[in-house]
Amino acid sequence: MALSRRGFVHTVGIGAAAAWVGARGREHSIWSAFEPVLQAVEPGTIVLASNENPLGPGKTVMKAVRAAFGDGGRNPGRYSGSAGELTDAVAKRLGVKPENVVLGCGSTQILRSATHLFTAKDKPLVGTIPTYEECAGYAEMMGHPVRPVALDSEFRIDLGKFADAAKGAGLVFYCNPNNPTATYVGAKATRDFLAKVNRESPDTTILVDEAYYDYVTDPDHDTHIAVAIDNPRVIVARTFSKAYGMAGLRMGYAVGHVDTIKKMREWEGSGGAGYLNVLAIHAGLAAIQQDASFLTAERARNAASRDFTMKWFEERGMKPTASQANFMFVNIGRPAKDFRDACRAKGVLVARDFPPFEKTHCRIAFGTMDEMKKAVAVFGQVLGKTAATAA
Amino acid sequence: MLRSRRSFFEIVAGGQTDADVRLWLAARGHEEYQAQATQAADAPRRPKPVPPGVKEIRISSNENPLGPGRAVLDAIVRQFPEAGRYPFNATPGDGALASAIATSYGVKPENIVLGAGSQELLKSAVRAFTSPGKGLVTGSPSFENCPNIAKRLGHPVVEIKVDSAMRLNLDAMATAASGAGLVFLCNPNNPTATVHGASAVEDFVRRVRSASPDTVILIDEAYHDYVTDPSYKTAVPLAMRTPNVFVTRTFSKAYGMAGLRVGYAIGATDTMKPLHRLRMPYNISVFGVTAAIAALNDAKHIEQERARNTDVRQFTVKALDDLGCKSSDSHCNFLFVDVGRPAADFRDACAEQGIVVGRDFPPFDKTHARISLGTMDEMKKATAVFRTVLRPVTTTANRL
Repeated sequence: MALSRRGFVHTVGIGAAAAWVGARGREHSIWSAFEPVLQAVEPGTIVLASNENPLGPGKTVMKAVRAAFGDGGRNPGRYSGSAGELTDAVAKRLGVKPENVVLGCGSTQILRSATHLFTAKDKPLVGTIPTYEECAGYAEMMGHPVRPVALDSEFRIDLGKFADAAKGAGLVFYCNPNNPTATYVGAKATRDFLAKVNRESPDTTILVDEAYYDYVTDPDHDTHIAVAIDNPRVIVARTFSKAYGMAGLRMGYAVGHVDTIKKMREWEGSGGAGYLNVLAIHAGLAAIQQDASFLTAERARNAASRDFTMKWFEERGMKPTASQANFMFVNIGRPAKDFRDACRAKGVLVARDFPPFEKTHCRIAFGTMDEMKKAVAVFGQVLGKTAATAA
Repeated sequence: MLRSRRSFFEIVAGGQTDADVRLWLAARGHEEYQAQATQAADAPRRPKPVPPGVKEIRISSNENPLGPGRAVLDAIVRQFPEAGRYPFNATPGDGALASAIATSYGVKPENIVLGAGSQELLKSAVRAFTSPGKGLVTGSPSFENCPNIAKRLGHPVVEIKVDSAMRLNLDAMATAASGAGLVFLCNPNNPTATVHGASAVEDFVRRVRSASPDTVILIDEAYHDYVTDPSYKTAVPLAMRTPNVFVTRTFSKAYGMAGLRVGYAIGATDTMKPLHRLRMPYNISVFGVTAAIAALNDAKHIEQERARNTDVRQFTVKALDDLGCKSSDSHCNFLFVDVGRPAADFRDACAEQGIVVGRDFPPFDKTHARISLGTMDEMKKATAVFRTVLRPVTTTANRL
């Protein structure tokens, strides 16, 4: 644990910036090899810590994984040559050209490539506090400066401040919906923001992370892929880890202008395909080609769990942010660590600390309705007096 | 259904179709893709495809033709319910794989860095240990991954030609290593298939370290499990007791898991720190993690695979010898063979008959081909094709 803190927090400096980098690191510390015990999840635990789809990828995808073994189980022994097929299938589904798409080992590889290519010692990374830490952590590791921007009072991206901070930056990490706060900026406001940054700071690249895109229920919702394919300074990142339920398989992609995608492919080598496992490629093919009703159903399922869980907290006087994702950020009025440890002892795993809000707020992912009914019973016991009074 | 503990074969039997198999056989593999992408600008010519309707035998990428063992396949299927979990949330988690590898060597987890194939680790090593002022030293020919990355970064590369027996020229490499950032020592060497014994490697390390103690030495043992030379030993103990020396290993070769992308680096704690820092989080899938753990627990499978490969190797070396084509002393699951003509000609002629062999390996691309070893059955078919392909030139030569 000590190693993890030391390894991760060193150059960013004091105050807010240091807080952003955080005590524990990203979803999982880069020092993972030192912390095997911390990661182990006891069987039977309700895992609400990592914004996964609790149902996994579904039958269609797992059938494709099964078929990918082929030839008496020999195929996993072959280097896969199928990354191109998945690139084509993703492009087809999105209505773009294959040259607009690069695959990654989860969106992690995409976020790292973009940070690598577009930040430098004199070209900072800009991101909100808090947001998903991969880009900031990587920039920090490379010795590139990180410029943090506070959220507004509703835990949303403050577009004015963000655009100001973007001036002269190498890369803006625009996570929408934002992890861990679950808040969302509408399609029009985002388009305006992209145009403004582009106008005021034409050499700045903006990485729009749409990891939670499929969970948004706000009607003012649209992808920014159309902007990205026309504008070399805008990239959209997507992942199969969230609504598609494939977090364990490791597959994500970026969509952007042909020139930008070409740079990312060249930096990764093998067109970015060298880190991709064959089972994930075939799972991705099945996932992207399946009927869109899969996502509609998953969005509805999540919305029901979300509404149930948010209501439970609201009724007890604990205010969640306006979640448009498969998790929420809620003011529990006590340190996240105390809450987390107590919940874990009762078989429910909630998320790590998110400074600067770790003394008051906790991130809780939405499991199945059944899991959430069990989880709120545990939350009720752990939160004790507050919960009991309101009930 | 997916939670069932039924074995892999029971489950797969229902799901597989001819179309799936065809799809797979058509796949060419990313090792080839990578080489092509890298060489695209100056590629002499594109490899000829296998004609439609001709059954393909792929002996081009040094894969285990049988794939993973039964224990590994069963472990993956048992892990299906965890597909939606991040690798650190699954049971077993990715930390458990690092621990299992560490235990197998009697070292600590901090001595192990996991990679999405050893490829990620080679890339990290070049990034961590070379710079515009401190370059890379590698063999020629050797595995191209490290020099490709160094060139992309604009870091200098010194390539030392192999000796007359196609072995890495350790003397010349040690001399060139002075002041270098990183030495890439592929042992056994891909594509020449030759191996250096333990004492030669130890002498090399001692020599480099006495002249240039800050130079990092990466010993890639991807083909470790196929070596039958009794003078060979793994350099892992050497790496554990020597600063700035580490070993990479992969599950892509004898373990038959090339498609799953699992490799690791092993070395002293301080040597491994920069590689830990560069490691991409969650780089190995839940299936890769569970498969690798199962593979480590199945040592007998590796013994069988080594014996199988040795038989096929002897058969293929002799068949090519009989055609007047001499192979270097192979300790791998592939051969580097003097076919007496450009590799591209040989490759295209073989492809006509469904046999896909390795790419060009300059500076020997005008004379030598790399041929991976498939199953005995595949190599009987392949050598029959080699006889037809290699005969005409022999005849012409006899006439002249």
